[in-house]
Amino acid sequence: MLLKQDACVKKTTPMTDLPPSPVAKRDSNVKPDHESTYSTPRWVKVFGIIALVVVLLLIILMLSGGEHGPWRHTPPSSAIEYGVQQP
Amino acid sequence: MILSPRLRKCALTAHLTCAVGWIGGVVAYLTLGVAAVTSQDAQTVRAAWTAMALIGWFALVPLALAALLTGIVMSLGTKWGLFRHYWTLISFVLTVLAVVILLLHMPTVSFQADVAQTAEDTSLAGLGGDLVHPGLGLVVLLVIQVLNVYKPPGMTPYGHRKQHEQRTEARP
Repeated sequence: MLLKQDACVKKTTPMTDLPPSPVAKRDSNVKPDHESTYSTPRWVKVFGIIALVVVLLLIILMLSGGEHGPWRHTPPSSAIEYGVQQP
Repeated sequence: MILSPRLRKCALTAHLTCAVGWIGGVVAYLTLGVAAVTSQDAQTVRAAWTAMALIGWFALVPLALAALLTGIVMSLGTKWGLFRHYWTLISFVLTVLAVVILLLHMPTVSFQADVAQTAEDTSLAGLGGDLVHPGLGLVVLLVIQVLNVYKPPGMTPYGHRKQHEQRTEARP
């Protein structure tokens, strides 16, 4: 049944920019008059958890390494440390 | 404003070209980054850094900005909207994040390329490489691509509200 529904959705939404009618219908079948009752889809929650873990890992890596971060996205003012050849 | 079918196809073609081109550019950049890290030859390291700066400024940055712009046009010009569905919202946030990090990172790449040109052969190894940024960037771009192809269902609270408003307006 689910496969049938998915096949139908795929058949009617072959392009990236078509109106969201099948998806919207699926979403709106819940309780259209009470927006507060709409729950966040499971894939969004999983995605959010993974994103949070990745961000935390990056923060930990930056703090432990101490050599990287947004503050380092500007070129150093001096090139002496790289052993630049003097003219 | 909803685009006409002809304009929609034109915008979609432009968006796909820019987005896929951006991914290809990052793969090329990553390849050069690996060469800069692993090569023992000073000329190869210098050439790799020079090419990375060129690819960054003249391929990645324009393609990234164009992909962001055409993506916004595509979402606002169709019924998908920019904030109505989770997949469009997440794609937008990730694209903006990738563009901002790219723009912040490129001056460092230019600096490294300049240093590679003038540095002594022995100190070139100290330059290191640039694998983390393009690596993570590639993952982010692939996630965006998967979201855009699969379009997982799910409307945001804003999307539900807009849909409800439209239904209310449509009622006689």
